Parts: sequence; structure tokens; C-alpha cells
Amino acid sequence: MLLLLPILVPLVGGIFVFRQKNEQYRDWLVVTLIVVTGVLVLANCVTPVQRLWLLTIQGDLGLVLNSDWLSKFFMVLAVCIWAPVVIFTRPYIRHAGHGNQFMGFYTMTLGVLMGLAQAANFVTMYMFFEVMSLITVPLVLHDATPASRRAGFKYLGYSVFGAGMALAGYFFIAYYLAVPDFQPGGALDFSRAAEHRPLLLVAYCLMIVGFGAKAGMMPMQSWLPSAHPVAPAPASAVLSGVITKGGVVAVIRVTYYMFGPEFLAGSWPQYVLLSLTLMTVFIGSMLAYREKLLKRRLAYSTVSQVSYVLFGLMLLTPEGVQASLLQMVFHALAKDTLFLAAGAIIISTNCTRVDQLRGIGRRMPVTMWCFTLAALSLIGIPPLAGFVSKWYLLTAGLEAPVQAFGIAGLVVLILSALLTAGYLLPVVTAGFFPGRDFITERREVGPQMIWPMIGFCAALLLLGVLPGGVIRWLGLLAGRFFP
Amino acid sequence: MEKILLLLLILLPILASVWVFPLRRRDRRYRNLFIRIVPAAELLLTLLLVLVWPDASLELPGVCGIGLHLQAGSLGSLLALVSAFLWAATGLNCPNYFAAAEGCNRFYLFWLMTLGALMGVFLAADFFTLFVFFEMMSMTSYVWVAQNETPEAIRAGQTYLAVAVIGGMALLAGLVLLQHLLGTLAFADLPAAVSALPAGKRGMLYAAGGLALAGFGAKAGMFPLHIWLPKAHPAAPAPASALLSGILTKSGVFGALILSRYLFWAEIPWNTVVLALGVVTMVLGAVLALFSIDLKRTLACSSMSQIGFILVGTAMQGFLSGENALAAWGTVLHMLNHSLVKLVLFVAAGVIYVGTHSLNLNEIRGWGRNKPVLKILFFIGGASIAGVPGFSGYVSKTLLHESIVEYIHLLEHAGADPGWFPMVERLFLIAGGLTAAYMTKLFVAIFVSSRAAGQRLPLQSYLSRGTLTALSCGASLLLLLGLTPNWTMEPLAQWASGFLMADPGHSVHYFSWVNLQGALISLGIGAAVYLLVVRMLLMERGPEGAVYQDRWPRRLDLEEAVYRPALSALAFAGALGARTAASLGDWLVMLGEKILFTKAPGIFVPKHDETFGTYDRKPRRFLLGETFSFDLMLTGCGLIVLLLYMLL
Repeated sequence: MLLLLPILVPLVGGIFVFRQKNEQYRDWLVVTLIVVTGVLVLANCVTPVQRLWLLTIQGDLGLVLNSDWLSKFFMVLAVCIWAPVVIFTRPYIRHAGHGNQFMGFYTMTLGVLMGLAQAANFVTMYMFFEVMSLITVPLVLHDATPASRRAGFKYLGYSVFGAGMALAGYFFIAYYLAVPDFQPGGALDFSRAAEHRPLLLVAYCLMIVGFGAKAGMMPMQSWLPSAHPVAPAPASAVLSGVITKGGVVAVIRVTYYMFGPEFLAGSWPQYVLLSLTLMTVFIGSMLAYREKLLKRRLAYSTVSQVSYVLFGLMLLTPEGVQASLLQMVFHALAKDTLFLAAGAIIISTNCTRVDQLRGIGRRMPVTMWCFTLAALSLIGIPPLAGFVSKWYLLTAGLEAPVQAFGIAGLVVLILSALLTAGYLLPVVTAGFFPGRDFITERREVGPQMIWPMIGFCAALLLLGVLPGGVIRWLGLLAGRFFP
Repeated sequence: MEKILLLLLILLPILASVWVFPLRRRDRRYRNLFIRIVPAAELLLTLLLVLVWPDASLELPGVCGIGLHLQAGSLGSLLALVSAFLWAATGLNCPNYFAAAEGCNRFYLFWLMTLGALMGVFLAADFFTLFVFFEMMSMTSYVWVAQNETPEAIRAGQTYLAVAVIGGMALLAGLVLLQHLLGTLAFADLPAAVSALPAGKRGMLYAAGGLALAGFGAKAGMFPLHIWLPKAHPAAPAPASALLSGILTKSGVFGALILSRYLFWAEIPWNTVVLALGVVTMVLGAVLALFSIDLKRTLACSSMSQIGFILVGTAMQGFLSGENALAAWGTVLHMLNHSLVKLVLFVAAGVIYVGTHSLNLNEIRGWGRNKPVLKILFFIGGASIAGVPGFSGYVSKTLLHESIVEYIHLLEHAGADPGWFPMVERLFLIAGGLTAAYMTKLFVAIFVSSRAAGQRLPLQSYLSRGTLTALSCGASLLLLLGLTPNWTMEPLAQWASGFLMADPGHSVHYFSWVNLQGALISLGIGAAVYLLVVRMLLMERGPEGAVYQDRWPRRLDLEEAVYRPALSALAFAGALGARTAASLGDWLVMLGEKILFTKAPGIFVPKHDETFGTYDRKPRRFLLGETFSFDLMLTGCGLIVLLLYMLL
């Protein structure tokens, strides 16, 4: 029951959100639903591993839920991001209008994510993956302008096409599976699979590129920079902080729970995907560096940063996985702060372009302080959390058996960090140091928008100074991928 | 207890910094008192550390990912002591300097934070700890440079930040490589790890060391990464300049010293590179300083030149390997002297700026004519850095000079060709001479020549009590050290160079004729350069006396001529490539749309910009037959592909 409830509570509760007439009640309902989900997730985490057979499709293939450590990790991450962002959303959506629609889909998305995390086999995961793509489209095209509608369809197209590629790949490998469920170390029947290794590797490549579309990996990254500038800020925040990580979870499931690192280590898809992720890291940063629109700049930054995660995963070592899980958490925190700050700036000043932000630090000091801390974390300046994950990622790359890619990773990641500094720090410096003659009034946004950002920043600082617990825990989690 | 003390040294300024704003809201006086008390307390704590627990050590496992390790003792403690002293002294000067300025709370906030970070840098026991605090320091000190928010300050801040970030990332890459190669970053374990390294990985070690040296050198102001120094100093407030050049550059030197001593010891290629960079920095800085007509810019270029001297000493330690006491002492003592000298000179420059609101030599000319106290203090600083016997700079420069001479003797004794070392010695003396020349230029301009037109006389005392205390503390320390080298400087040097693994060495007769010779040659060169170059070439007779001319060609600016164009060209090329690669997916989608949809009747019509597809009304222009034939053609293509596949 604890498996199903975190999915059902927000999913069913979200339907009632649409019908609420009173804004006050609606917001309380949403907050309650998310808090209840959080409590259920916690309960789920402390209970031992369970398995729930929902529905039989054919033979031993069915919709199955199972909560292993990866599911728990992703569920906690999703709830920890969802709850503060909803507090920010309240005043934001009053400004943007159509609150019921947004809040409803927002709540329901959380339920779908819980399902995605707990899916125990590919079919279940695929189903939740597609539902996630569909249900987040209204979040993207919330403003219903022609531009946002186009962006919404582009997002949908890329996601569905990617998931379709993954499904096509699954058809190839389904025959070679020893067990239908995900299994750490790989679910393939290795003796049979070894005979058709080239075919399976092609299928693997197809699946990762397909799911990688969601995570913003080349060559299907271009939905991100289209979708983010038009989506409302809270939608951008969760999209970039959590939904792209949904793609990462799918990649982990395919790589570590279906094929297994042993089957893939040293094969050409590993090299191809490592090159793709490194290319994405560089290209994302480079395009962000040249971008003038703040939110699109952040979107390109997401393209690059999420590929850090994929780079770590593709190293196929426990250290690499640990580093990329760290990066997953810390990037979610930092990027959410940045998007919320961008949203607060839009609410308060209507500025969307970077060159309009001169002196913004005088106008909205608290927001910009949060922006600064998150930017420094994203660049990887100690003592903020981003530094920890970057250090682990770099060392993991060098320690991995694929030496050449370790060195290439070092070069590309350092270049990307420089570009990150290049596209984020000018916003900060121009914001706080506009020049002597610059006069402006102080116009900060309200506490409901401020506090979520401060919370994220405090987490970044705390996890940066004392990351011991998180590192150890994620190390254990990463160890489980390698039985 | 000692552990708490170490932690307190770092945390006290950082935690104290956040109280600046609330205190200012209460009353300006509270805040001014506060920023004097905190560094003073820090100074006391550092003294306590040095005197009571000289070998304190603290491990914080897991903090910042890997775990921090702090270790007091030797050079690190000395530099920590110097930085606490510098902060306390500038703290006395700050309220006076900022008396008329608005918005200096921000400055104080970051001023205190930087102190904490700097303590961490100097007390670090491994490269990881050092890096963590080094980056913090780089970021927080940016605010000092941009504080004034004039266009120059903002541009200088840009340069500073760019150099700091690029240097920091190069350092990070170098350290990650080191960690990978050696398996440890703790200073104490490095020599053993290096000697255990297989010969095939030497190249990697050099790459790692080179990256880290670039990172440290960027902070130290080493050529070719010195570009931020001459820009940042004139733009920053005077107390900040004093600290930037007095101690922040030393953090870079500290790192370079550790790299040279603990990783490369006596490796000839490494030390040759460091020596070459050091010589270029030394001479170029001195030449730039000679040409400059801006008071603080001159001092900044002088800092660069002195850093060059220290780097030369660093390299000489490597060349002399077994008998490097002279070089090690010279290096350490020159770091100490330069910090104190720059404190005195920059704070004095701040006094002059507050009095005249200008830094241009032609406008501040003669301002100090009737100010004997300032004149004496400035003279002590200038004479000390110029290496006049009896002042502290003489001792350290003599030691550095002697180390080069010693190496030449060693080579000649062994029958080897001294190569280009005699050239290095000559350049060393010339750079020393240039130092004397530009300090004379400054001194004469400010304190001797006739008063420039348009200067207002100060209404009240131009030296506040705090500033006077700060200046006289620094100057009297310089005098004390310079007059009693055998009792004060030698023990200090011996203590501090233990960290550099120097041999014990033996006492030196500083005022013997042999040693005085070098200084006299330098001063002779200085006098000649001043009379011939400065007075003849760099000055012009105007209607109201001599005018200083800036004869340095404007085009000859490494940053404007090379770095900025190169960076934007690289960014352009990168963006071009990135955009092409990134739009590959969109192009494919567009191609597909073209083939599948354009000819179709109906309502599903693509837009050709960044769209996936959209619903729109479309005029029905196409005949059914036309599209039907197109469909047939596509089917035919498919069949042909299928046929080819089956055939092959």
C-alpha cells in the first residue's frame, strides 16, 4: 500500500485541485497533498523493500511497483524540491493567472514521478515516463501564447520520440531478458546475450539516446532552450531540477538494471555516449555563454549540467555513479534557486534579458544574494556544494578504466566551469556593481518567494561544508548498482 | 584547546563579518570600533598560536568533501601572523580613508571574510585545504577591487575576476591530476609520493605542476598573468591595495613555493622555468613601474617586480638544492619585507589620495613638502624596498643576490659552464637599480619638487591617529629588522625556512664590504637611471616646471592587445561550432517536415523556425493527384531501399 499511496495521493488529489473555487483553499489543499506525499515517502523509505503487482499485461509481463534504494533516493529528491517550489508558486501564479490548472497539473506530476521512481520493470517505467511527458506539457504551455504552444509541442515531440526510440530498443532486447524486472547488475540472460552482442549494443545506444532526450543530451537537447523561456518560473525550476533527472533515472535503470555495467564496460556505446555527454557539456555551456535571454541561458546551462551527471554514469564505476548522484542533487538545488530567482526578477521588474539586469542587486538584494550563491555552486567554488560533486566527478573520471575519457572529461569540465563563470558571474557583478551613478529603489519580492530560495541556498552551503553524510549514503547507493 | 584556536582563527573573521551591517544600522561608531577590534583580536590569537602552540594541528574529516587539515608552524604561521598584522593595521586606517565614502559596509563584510579565508590558506596542511580557502579568498577579494564602482574599477574588477576564475580552475585541474598521480595531497607526504612515481608519469606530473603553477602565479602576479595587478590597484581603495599587494599575492607565492619545494625539489627543467618567469616578472615590473605616472600603479608594478625577486629566490633554492639556506632565507625575508613595505607605502598613498583626490604624479606633486612625518615614513618604506643598507630590504636582497653568486661559484668550481646565470645576476642588479630609481621618482615628485597648482591645503590634520599608528608600526618594524638583521631576521628566517626544507645555514656578515658591494652597484645603477632616464626622457619642461610624461606606448598592453581579443575570438569559434552541432537535431526535424508535410493537403503545417510543428489553417492549393504522386514516389523510394537491403 505504501508503494501505491505516494502515487495516488497527488494524482487523485490533483483532480480536486482543478475544481477549487477558492484560491486560499486550493493552495492549502496543494500544500497538504504534497506534505502528505512527503510523509508517505518517508514511511516508504523506512519500511523494507516491497513489491506490488498491479496489473497483468501478458504472461509474466505486468505493471509492477517496487521500491528499491534508487526509487527512495529519487522520491526524496522530488519531494524535497516540490515542497519549497510550491510555496514560491503561490504568489507567482496569482500573477500569471489560471492558477487551478497549473496547481493541478503540478500536483499530479509529483504522483507520476513517484510512479516513475518505483517502476519495477521497463514497461511500467515506460508508461510513467510517457505520462510524465504528457502531464508536464500543460505546465510548459501555461501562458498559452503562440510561442509557448509551439514550445510545448516541441517538448512533447522530442520526449515522445525519445521514449519511442527507447521502446523500439526494448523490443529488441526483451527476448534476451532473464527476468522481466529490473535487477542491479543487469537483467539480461548473459549467455544468450553474448551471441547477439552487436545487436544489443545498438539497441542500448538507441535506448539511452532516446531517454537522454529528456535529460537534455545531444542530439535531442533542443527542446530545453525552447521550453524554458516560455514556461512559468516554477515550472522551469521543477522541469530542469527534477524532470530532466527523470530522464537520468531512466538511463540508470537501462544501464545498470537491464544491461549491467559488466556487459557494457569497454564497449563502443560507452565511448560514443561518453563523447556525446562531453560534447553536450561543452556545447551547452558555450551556447549559454552567448545567450542573452536569462531563462534560456539557464536552460542551456541545464543542458550542460545534466550531462555532467550522464558523464559520471557512463564511466560505469561506483565512484562515477556516486559523483553523478551527488551532481544530481546539487544541481537540482542550485538550478532551482537560479530559476526561482529569475522568476522573482520577472515578477518584480519584468526584465527577461541579461542586459536589463544592471543594478538588479540594489533593487532585489536578497534574491540576488541567493542567485550569487547558487551561481557559485554551479561553477564549483568551495565551500558550496557544487564544488564537492565536481571534485568527485573529476577524480572519478581519472580513476576510471577509460583513461583517455578521464583526461578529456577533466579538460571539458574545467572549460565548462570557466564558461559557467562566464555566463553567470557577469549577471552578478553587473547586478551588484552597476556604477556609482546608478539609482534605484529597493523592490524585493514577498517572503513566500524569498524563503524557498534562502532554503535552497542554505542547503547548498550546509551540504557544501558538511557533505559527509550525503556522500557516504550515495556511495552506499552507488555500491548497490554493482552487486 | 589548540584545535579550537585554529578553527577560531578562520571562523572568527568570517562569523564576525555578518555583524557589520546590523552594527552600522545602530551607529557608525560601533561599526568602526568593531572593525578595529576584530583584526586586533585575530592578531592576538595568532600570536598566541605562534607562541604557545607552535605545532597545533587540526583535522576535520569530511568537511567540504575530502576533509580539511590545518597545521600551524614555520612559514605558514609567519605569513598568518603577517596577515593578521596587516589587517589590524589597515583596520586602523580604514575608517579614516572611508570617512566620506558611502556604502563601505559591503567592503568591510568582504574584508573580514577574506581574512578568515587567508588564514585557512596559510595554515593549510594539504593542497585540498589550501584550494578551498584560496578560492574563497579569490571570490571575496573581488569586491575590494570593484568597491569604488567607477568605470575603471568595474573594468579592473572584470579583469581580476577573470584571472581569478581562470587561475582557480587551472589550479583545480592541476590538483585533481596530482591527487590522481600521487594519491595524496598532504604536503608532508608529497616528496615520498613523488619519488615513488614511475618515470613514465613524469610528464603528467609536470603537466599537473604547470597547471597549478599557472593558478598560483595568476594570484601572485607572475608574468604573463600579471595583467590584473596594474589595473586593480589604482582602482581599489588604498587599504585594499595594501592588502592585495602586501599579502594576497603572497598566497600565490606560498603555493608556488610549496609546488617547487615539495614536488620538484631540484628538478632542473622546473626550476629553469620558474627562474625565467621570475626574471621576466622582475624586470618587466620594474620597467613598467619606472614608466608609470600614477602613484598606485607604480606601487602595483613594483609589487609585481618584487614578486619576481621572490620567484627568483624560489628557483635558486631548487638549483642550490643541498646548500640553499641563503636562497630560502632571502625568499622568506623578502616576502616579509615586501608585505610590510607595501603596507606603509599603500597606506601613505591612501593618505595622499584623501588629501588630493588624485593619484597622478603631476597633480599630487609637492603635496608632502611640509609634512615631515609622512615624508619620513614614506622614505623608510621606499629605502627599504630599494635595498638601501640599514633598511630591511637590503638584507633580503643581499641574501637573494648572494644565492645567485654562490650558484655561479659552484658551477665554476665544478668546471661547468655557468651558462646564463651571470646574465641573471646582472638583471637582478639592474632590477634592483630600477627599484631605487622609481622609488626616488615617487619620493622626489611627492615630497621634494614644488607644489602643483590647484592643491588645497588640508583643513585639519591630514593624518588621523589610527593611520599614524598603522604607518609608524609598519615603518618601525622595517627599521628594527633592517638594523638588527643578525638578531631578528636570521632567527625568523631560520624558523620559517624550516618549512622549505632548507639546510640550517650559517650566519652572514651583512655589512661586510663584499655584501655591500652588490647593493652599492644597484644603487649606482638606480642613480644613473634616475638622472638619465627619468629626468631626461620621462619628464618635460613645461611652463610651471617639469611635467611627468607617460611614455609607455598604449598599444603595448598584454590584456587589450592579446588576451581580450583572443578570448572573444575563441568564444566566437566555439559558439559557431556549438551552434552548428546543436541545431543538427532541429535540422533533421525540419527536413522530415519538408518531406512529409509540405506537399500534403490539410491543416498540419510546419513553421520553419525553431518549431516542431503546429496546427494552422493552410490554403488548399495542392491537387490530390499531385500529393498522391508524391506519396507514390516516397513509397517507391522505400521499396528501392528495401530491395537494396535484400540484395546486399
